[in-house]
Amino acid sequence: MVDEHKLIELAKSKPDGISNDDIKSAIPDAKIEDIAAAINKFLKNGSFELYQDNGKLLYKYKDPSKKSTAKGSDSEEKIVFRIIEEAGNKGIWIRDIRFKSNLNMTQLNKVLKSLETKKYIKAVKSVSASKKKVYMLYDLEPDSSVTGGAWYQDQDFESEFVDVLSQQCLRFLTEKGEEAKMHGGGPLLARNKSYATANDVHKFISELGISKVRLSVSDIESILYTVVLDNNAERIASGEGFLYRSTNKFLSSVGLVKTTCGVCPIANRCADTGLINPKICEYLTDWLEEN
Amino acid sequence: MSFQIGKLISLILQERFGIIIEKVGNFLFEYGSNPLLYIMRGTELPLGKVKEALCILIKYGLVTFKPNNNENIANYSLCIDNILLMTRYPKFLNLLKKKFGDESEMIIEELLQNSYLSTSDIIVKVAERLKCDVNDLPNVRDKFVSLVVAKYIQRLPTPNEEERPVPILEIKESVLFSLPKIDMKLLSQVYLKKIPKEELGETVFWIVNFDRFHQDMRDKYLVDAFTKKFDENVGEFVKLLLQQMYIRTDPWAETSNPVPLLEIKDIVRKKVIYPNLVTFFDQYVTVIEQDPSQIIRKSGEASGGSFQIQLKEAYNQIAWEIVEQVILEKFDSKAVRIFRLVKLKKFVEPDQIQQLAMIPSKEAKKLSYQLLEENFLKLQELKRPLANNGPIKSFTLFYIDLESIVRNLLELCYKTLYNAMTRKSHEKFINKRIIDKKQRVDAIAMGIQSQGATEEQLADIEDMITPPEREILGKIDRKMKKLNIEELEVDATIFLLQMYLKYQ
Ligand code: SF4
Repeated sequence: MVDEHKLIELAKSKPDGISNDDIKSAIPDAKIEDIAAAINKFLKNGSFELYQDNGKLLYKYKDPSKKSTAKGSDSEEKIVFRIIEEAGNKGIWIRDIRFKSNLNMTQLNKVLKSLETKKYIKAVKSVSASKKKVYMLYDLEPDSSVTGGAWYQDQDFESEFVDVLSQQCLRFLTEKGEEAKMHGGGPLLARNKSYATANDVHKFISELGISKVRLSVSDIESILYTVVLDNNAERIASGEGFLYRSTNKFLSSVGLVKTTCGVCPIANRCADTGLINPKICEYLTDWLEEN
Repeated sequence: MSFQIGKLISLILQERFGIIIEKVGNFLFEYGSNPLLYIMRGTELPLGKVKEALCILIKYGLVTFKPNNNENIANYSLCIDNILLMTRYPKFLNLLKKKFGDESEMIIEELLQNSYLSTSDIIVKVAERLKCDVNDLPNVRDKFVSLVVAKYIQRLPTPNEEERPVPILEIKESVLFSLPKIDMKLLSQVYLKKIPKEELGETVFWIVNFDRFHQDMRDKYLVDAFTKKFDENVGEFVKLLLQQMYIRTDPWAETSNPVPLLEIKDIVRKKVIYPNLVTFFDQYVTVIEQDPSQIIRKSGEASGGSFQIQLKEAYNQIAWEIVEQVILEKFDSKAVRIFRLVKLKKFVEPDQIQQLAMIPSKEAKKLSYQLLEENFLKLQELKRPLANNGPIKSFTLFYIDLESIVRNLLELCYKTLYNAMTRKSHEKFINKRIIDKKQRVDAIAMGIQSQGATEEQLADIEDMITPPEREILGKIDRKMKKLNIEELEVDATIFLLQMYLKYQ
């Protein structure tokens, strides 16, 4: 391994740039491949810049905090760059940039394009509004409020993924409840044993290995809330967090939903006369033929 | 009253009493309370027919009358609820049979069929059906007496003392369930047809007290609900709690008066069927009390604690579940999730839905607007200036009006009943020829059987119905059964929804 710190210090000490030979003499015991890897990394993250001087390669140190003084940017670009930089990893909407920079739309678009091609900034689609793009510095990881967190893949909500997780969470709670009941010792004991924390469920889901992305406990908490919303579980406050447990509903299917008319999509148009009527209704016919 | 109910009761009247009574019923439904002459004019029926129809309707408690401003004329009005109740009769009978056995069921059945009867009528009719020996009459009497004591049967109101052209029917609360002396000696004579029943000189008549049946149904559905949510032990606990409630609470109170736990514990101990409830009694009580539904609450610590059951709240929660079921079947589980989110939060901004319910925004939008369209959700707009004198921002919030949803669902139930009944009569109508033939063949078979026909002759008669016809008849039969069951089940839903409204 190369002492990266040493490498940086070396470059800092020579503002005109360092050559491969300089490096070798400063860190003689490093392997060539390791040095190359370190340099590549610095080039990538913008700490080094590459120059050619008389056919010789020179690396120049560049203060990342001053990347804004990017070469070749004119003053408008600098202003826009700074505004975007300020917005951090939450990004900033084009209208707000315009407002802050006082540039007109054509100008601003040009500047943004140029900064984008130079890979100083990037545009990220925000999940909160499908057509809204926000700009942020190129190497920033967008905030989860922009990407939507674990549930989004390229700004698309992964509905099936959420469904599967929701089912698995419920399964965990149900099994836990059944196990508790099997243990005996009375209903109160069984109830207390059937509670699970989000941590318990998180552990179970992680071990299942059904998720490609790493889920946090609060991600699981969101999923558990859908189980509660589906009226398949209850949650009670306990200390800092919640306890969850699967529950039954009060009713099994009531008569109305077992009929065709009770759930009929065209019931509003069904009358005595006209084409939609109970005498010839196909829904009813099919239901009557069923065994 | 709604359009749908009007159609339904018209069909019920027609099925049970024929078209003349249906006509009178329709007129009264549409124009409300009216005197005889108006009914005659409106229905274009001869006076005699209208009178006859009104008589029957009054007899069955489907029409009531009150003196007009002019004291000499009566205004007649329709008792819509009682007409709808007729679809519930089978349920009443079933309930009673389970609770008290066949004889009691027969007593109620006779009353429902005849509308009102005297004491001797009831006892004699039921005894005849059972082919009782005269010595068994006291048995039937005891059954009858206990039904009165338990308030399933009450006295028929009679004209009050004052002589008026239009009598006012009244019954004092205090005598509603009081039993007259029953002279068993004379009654036996009547049973043996030795003397006419007029000699008994009876003045008291009995009718069915529907309200009492409704209390039973209310309790039964509650017990079922708790059994489903917890287990049969909790169901039993609730049953006993309700049973003990009657001793000290008005039956339709929103909340029962406190029932001491010790009382329930005592009863449970004596019953052998629920050993678990005995062993874990205290644990069960804690579980029930701590349940988030909060339907059964502790009300005091004295003498081992006492409990109250929140009947209003129970039916509130039941109504919510019914609505959720309907949404689930009409739309899907995501729609229910949205609905329940709005329920839990009371007011929800459309944007929050996608995030909290974890549904893709497009789908969330589509579903919530569908729910809006079918009136499961409502929208409220709020306008609020962002800053002083600033631009006004408007928020839209979803919320739920449960009562109006329940009313809509009731309409849907009535429509469903109406459609089922319409379909039934239509199926009968298109197969009329075969059904008539079957009836004729049956009649002939019965006739020759009573004349001592041989097996062979009987088989010959039966063969008049061809195998394909037999198949069709079987099919019709199955369809009718299915539709009849549907009617009863939908009526159960109606009952649950009505209970919610009753407590509002
Ligand atoms: S009869 Fe058919 S069309 Fe009419 S409400 Fe029922 S299911 Fe719908």
